[in-house]
Amino acid sequence: MSFSITEPSPRQKWIAGTLVIAYALLTLIPLLWIIATGFKTPSDAIAYPPKVIFSPSLEGYVNLFTSRSRVTPEDLAALGPPTTWYDAIVRQYDMVITGPSRYGERFLNSVIIGFGSTFLSVFLGTIAAYAFSRFKVPLKDDLLFFILSTRMMPPIAVAIPIFLMYRQLGLSDTHLGMIFLYTAVNLSLSVWLLKGFIDEIPIEYEEAALIDGYTRFQAFYKIVLPQAATGIASTAIFCLIFAWNEYAFAALLTSGTAQTAPPFIPTIIGTGGKDWPAVAAGATLFLVPIMVFTILLRKHLLRGITFGAVRK
Amino acid sequence: MSEPMARRIASATPSGLAHRIRGLSDRTIAWLFVAPTIFLLLAVNIFPLIWTIRLSLTDFRTNRPNNPVKFVGIENYKKILTDVDTWTSLQSTAHFLIWTIVLQVLIGFTLAYLINKKFRGNDLWTTLIVLPMMLSPAVVGNFWTFLYQPQIGLFNYFIEFFSGTDPASFSMIGEVNLAPWAIVIVDTWMWTPFVMLICLAGLRSIPSSIYEAAECDRASKWRQFWTITIPMVLPFLMLAVLFRGIENFKMFDLVVQLTGGGPGSTTQLVSIDLKREAFEKWRTGYASAYAVILFVTVFGLASIYVKALNKVKDR
Amino acid sequence: MNAFFSGLLRLRRTPWENLATVLIALGVVMLMQPFALILFTWSFPVTLVGTVMFIITSHFPE
Repeated sequence: MSFSITEPSPRQKWIAGTLVIAYALLTLIPLLWIIATGFKTPSDAIAYPPKVIFSPSLEGYVNLFTSRSRVTPEDLAALGPPTTWYDAIVRQYDMVITGPSRYGERFLNSVIIGFGSTFLSVFLGTIAAYAFSRFKVPLKDDLLFFILSTRMMPPIAVAIPIFLMYRQLGLSDTHLGMIFLYTAVNLSLSVWLLKGFIDEIPIEYEEAALIDGYTRFQAFYKIVLPQAATGIASTAIFCLIFAWNEYAFAALLTSGTAQTAPPFIPTIIGTGGKDWPAVAAGATLFLVPIMVFTILLRKHLLRGITFGAVRK
Repeated sequence: MSEPMARRIASATPSGLAHRIRGLSDRTIAWLFVAPTIFLLLAVNIFPLIWTIRLSLTDFRTNRPNNPVKFVGIENYKKILTDVDTWTSLQSTAHFLIWTIVLQVLIGFTLAYLINKKFRGNDLWTTLIVLPMMLSPAVVGNFWTFLYQPQIGLFNYFIEFFSGTDPASFSMIGEVNLAPWAIVIVDTWMWTPFVMLICLAGLRSIPSSIYEAAECDRASKWRQFWTITIPMVLPFLMLAVLFRGIENFKMFDLVVQLTGGGPGSTTQLVSIDLKREAFEKWRTGYASAYAVILFVTVFGLASIYVKALNKVKDR
Repeated sequence: MNAFFSGLLRLRRTPWENLATVLIALGVVMLMQPFALILFTWSFPVTLVGTVMFIITSHFPE
């Protein structure tokens, strides 16, 4: 199309661009502030007016990963000079490092539960979506609606019976219990999304393969799976993001061994008041992977958030 | 990733079994593929749901498991539906719901309309705008309490900068008349991109030939906007509104981290109220009835949502 | 309007579904309105009837 009367004029484009960019910058401030606060010293973090220019410090990250205790100046002097850079940071405050904090553990829990549930829900979702897409399943529409409706349920309402059930089964506060739970919640998303992706693969390829003597199974994993690869990958990322961000179930059903990072990060406190640089450091490490994923996913975002209904 | 995975699965299947599986009819395969999903959902959703309904008719308390459990009929439901505090929670939820939806639709639609002007670099900026929506609401909500701090918070600084109000004189999350707006602001910040993306899809689904025809008929831009753009985007907008409505009706993580329901009970949305009943007061029977009421409401809304979804799908 | 009632009588899907949708919406509004406690009390039965009606009538023929 060379010229269309509906094409906006350069002036209109310029105005639209300016407004959108202004909104984007405004909306990014809180995120940039999280990242910046992570590199501030506690006194810089609570300075007023807020400091935009500051000398970066790794104190927040050191405090995030360590637990510390206060010692008397004499004891500190008896310890001799600090051996590592993080020792040096901590000792400015008359403190010594007593060990690692729980952040690493919580982060690892998030990784285990996130990836475990993602793998399971994508695996189960792919085969179910294939069946829904290609075969006559009795009560298909009802089943699909039922699957979707499970996603809509308020987590706190679901948590009451799950709490009781998990206590009886010995699944409360275990990785396995959380993986099952997140898999169940994510299944709706993965079935609906993947059904959309598989619906788009022309059925003729499989029919040709079946005529060539492939069995259904071979046609599924040799023809359909490779073609659905992008769809499967983006579905996986969506499932991972959900499991990564989930808070309500994690806060109610886990406390010690299987607690993930979202309920943990808000509980990070320093000595005397909240240690905002440490909280911000924890949040940064936790949020940045998702920001990267979002950028990778941008072509499929719309699909993901509407359960595959809107395809652009 | 899928090709080697498939090969691994194929080679891991014992040949005898593989042979038998390969001979399966389509019907059997269909069931084999759907069954695990249905089973898991039955175990993690339907079974607990039935349990909840049963508990909702009793006076069971989780913290006193040895007390005899009494069947009380619909007594719990009667209590909840005549309780003024619960009603207040639902009104707080309504305030939150209405304002977040109004603001998100207005801002989201405007942004989508502007982005649809296809200025240079619009893809990049769209992606950046979307970022807040993908992040963990609990972690981000927790950090917003820092931005809302009186005296030192960035938000209060902005207010001072633009209006001259003393930043120490108000606390967005500590004051009864400000806290309901504090949660509306953060939710709007987070979820406007969602409405924007869906509106954008709606705008892009309008064929330009319609506008060209309208242009030939000398319809004014204003008229085109109201007779073409709005009606064509409306089904998409409905979808966005319903989805945000359902999500915010059950809102928990963001608000619990921001205000914890306070000050007083001004931001105590239904999910937070329910959490207190179930996991702080341990009135399990009562809370179960409460949960069933929310279930049914969300289920009803979800069926309307799916109807709206199918409408958009046909486009 | 006439088509709506004859649709109801002939157990057609669309009019029944619309009726159920209206009931659900009404129930939700009653649940969250700040005006009268009595409306709040009866909101749940209305939503429940609407939801059950929706599930049943979505199986009626078009």
